[in-house]
Amino acid sequence: MSNFSFIAETDWRCACCNKNLQASKVNVEYMGSVFNVELMVCPDCGFVLIPEDLALGKMLQVEQLLEDK
Amino acid sequence: MDQQQLRNFEARCIQEEQPFCTAACPIHIDVRPFMACIAKGDMRGARRVLDRTMPFADIVGRICDQSCRTACKRREIDSPLAIGSLERYCVSTVPAVIKPPKLPGKGGSVAVIGSGLSAMTAALDLARKGRNSLILTCDEAIGGTLRTYAEELLPAQALATAVETLDFYGVSIQFGCSLTNEFFQTIRQDHDAVFLDRDCADLHGLAVDCAHPDPFTLGIGREGCFAGGGCLENSYSVIKQVEDGRRAALTIERYLQQVSLTAQREREGACPTRMYTVTTGIQSQQEVLPADQQAGFTAAEAVQEAARCIQCQCMECVKECTFLQEFHDYPKQLVRKIYNNEAIVQGTRSANRMINSCSLCGQCQVVCPNDIPVADVCLASRRSMVEKSTMPPSAHDFPLQDMEFSQSDFFAMTRHQPGSDSSRFLFYPGCQLAGSAPQAVEQTYLHLTQQLSGGVGLMFGCCGIPAHWAGRQELFAKTMQDFLFEIEEMGNPIIITACSSCYSIFKEFAPNLSLRSLWQILEDIDLPEQRGLIPQQPMAIYDPCTARHEPEIRDSVRRLTKKLGFSIEEHPLSGKLADCCGYGGLMQFANPELGGKTARKKGQRSVHDGLAYCSMCRDNLASSGKRIAHLLDYLFPAADPEDPALRRNPGFSRRHENRARLKQRLLTTLWHEESDMTPEYKKIELFITPLIMELLNSRHILEDDIQKVIFQAEQTGRRLVDPESGHFLASYKPVRVTYWVEYEPGMQGFIIHNAYSHRMSLPGDVK
Repeated sequence: MSNFSFIAETDWRCACCNKNLQASKVNVEYMGSVFNVELMVCPDCGFVLIPEDLALGKMLQVEQLLEDK
Repeated sequence: MDQQQLRNFEARCIQEEQPFCTAACPIHIDVRPFMACIAKGDMRGARRVLDRTMPFADIVGRICDQSCRTACKRREIDSPLAIGSLERYCVSTVPAVIKPPKLPGKGGSVAVIGSGLSAMTAALDLARKGRNSLILTCDEAIGGTLRTYAEELLPAQALATAVETLDFYGVSIQFGCSLTNEFFQTIRQDHDAVFLDRDCADLHGLAVDCAHPDPFTLGIGREGCFAGGGCLENSYSVIKQVEDGRRAALTIERYLQQVSLTAQREREGACPTRMYTVTTGIQSQQEVLPADQQAGFTAAEAVQEAARCIQCQCMECVKECTFLQEFHDYPKQLVRKIYNNEAIVQGTRSANRMINSCSLCGQCQVVCPNDIPVADVCLASRRSMVEKSTMPPSAHDFPLQDMEFSQSDFFAMTRHQPGSDSSRFLFYPGCQLAGSAPQAVEQTYLHLTQQLSGGVGLMFGCCGIPAHWAGRQELFAKTMQDFLFEIEEMGNPIIITACSSCYSIFKEFAPNLSLRSLWQILEDIDLPEQRGLIPQQPMAIYDPCTARHEPEIRDSVRRLTKKLGFSIEEHPLSGKLADCCGYGGLMQFANPELGGKTARKKGQRSVHDGLAYCSMCRDNLASSGKRIAHLLDYLFPAADPEDPALRRNPGFSRRHENRARLKQRLLTTLWHEESDMTPEYKKIELFITPLIMELLNSRHILEDDIQKVIFQAEQTGRRLVDPESGHFLASYKPVRVTYWVEYEPGMQGFIIHNAYSHRMSLPGDVK
């Protein structure tokens, strides 16, 4: 999952800052492993969007892989 | 698990033992695949099986005296397989398919005196092992007694093929030797070892006593000399010639290598087998006899006869168990995988999911002829994973949180009967029954207080079985300790459990407690007068797996159903053979698909409506589409006259809710205690369609989690919005899991459109 990009156009906007989300590099971590991935993020407050298909797809796969390591 | 334990477990699983026919065959022909090939018309495949093990298959295949046939398991059903006739059919119609390899020459020369089948076999086997072997015979052709067989039984061509085979492997043959004592002395000096085939008329001239060879090594008490074969008590056995020839070759090979002639040879020749094959239920099918006895089988007849082979194996445990079937394992393989999984220091522990998928129900151990405790092995492995911190966090997180909830003040409580300060009894309904049928718990308790004297206390909590199943020994020990402390505080009352799991846990880990099952108690007291309508049609009792070793409880339930007027139709997988519903061992959390499959299979054991007395069985089977009711549904019916067999699984959120409300209601109505410990976020009203509710249950997301997400999103304003639909999307991480909820503010609460979760941490996770 390291150095992967998961950016995709989205209708979600940050309600707090009233901003469109932008692609940005983010560190995600699980069981001691850190991955630098590109996700859609609010440019002002840094709210990171994890869409459903990512959470239940690639992210879940990597979680399970790490759990068996 | 250490290596010794591994070996012990492996040795107890007999699935890899030889089938009865192969064990009885002195050269262990692999009869099962031979039969399987013929049955599917693959005659070349069948010949290949023979070629691998049988020397001179063109001869032996035609005239073997088939000592295997008497061992055939099929004789218990109708008549044993015609193994000899099928071999004859095979070698008569298909020429050799493979020639087993010849190892590179490694020196050593062996003289074989005589030319009967044992001499031929010894010479051939030694040549294949890379030894120089030479046949010396007084005859003018090879075969010995074989040459007396009628042409239609053993064609001369088969012997000619044998000569070609010997030649191919480099065995030289000297015919017309004069077998004098002098000749023997020279031969003995010129060769490293000598084998004497007693199927030879002229051996008496050698002044060698070969009448009584050692049955194990065929040694005759003279250095490097061995003897075998020939007629015994005037009967000539073809397979005995082959056995002796092969045994002699193995002895001589050991002799030449200067290693023990006797060590580890128990499995040579016909040997006992521990194979266990159940033949009950297999349909009788008479032996197929060739229409033309002289000509033998036609292809069609051979196929038909071979199809009678039942392919003996054990697989008793796998036959009924969805878990073992899912992972294509019998215990011997499973135990090895677990051992290997534990041995991994760095790398992927690929058996984790398997180990966490076992329901620990113990059905396999009951059906196993050697009582292999698969559940114990899986549980021990889970404990070791927890100790070494290699247990996947996601496997048991959800049920352990459920347990934590049940042990928290939301549900846990202990009280003496209202108006009493001591308890002779203590009703312990268990967390799952309280979550599934709170009204039944309440009515049962009231009934017990009316019927039993000396005070009936009430205790809500969780017995700790999720922690036990998850391998969390510390957590479980703490739970038991707290429980026992409370019991002592209550004056050591007789504990009445409604749940078989609680019962099994208390019985195993607190053997000094006075323990009774609710069903045993109900048998001895008056039944409630206001009961539900007992169905006319037959119902099947679904015993829980945790009552496997509790025949008294199972009998009490049956007597109760009789008293109540049920018409019961038992199904074969009940009682001590009961399946798990998918909850056992936390299977349904570590492997939800398998949990579903397991519940469906249990439900399908009977065509009749089910009657359960474990609420997890009841709810899981109901979810799988089975019409099933809980026994308490009829004893203490709900106010609305819904068909109890159609009651829905309440799901995880509703279970929490039910437990919490039950506690609050009883505290208010029975003990007149005010308790409102509802946290702020719980006041958030949710609107969830049944479809979304189903999604939440399958994703193990509670309404509680959703309320927390929305509560913090609305408090902080941190959320996303879709301007088009007006929906919000927010996330929150209460402990380890981050929950995302898509919602829309409604008139009186929030409409839930979707929810999902992940375990990876994001920067600035909101906690």
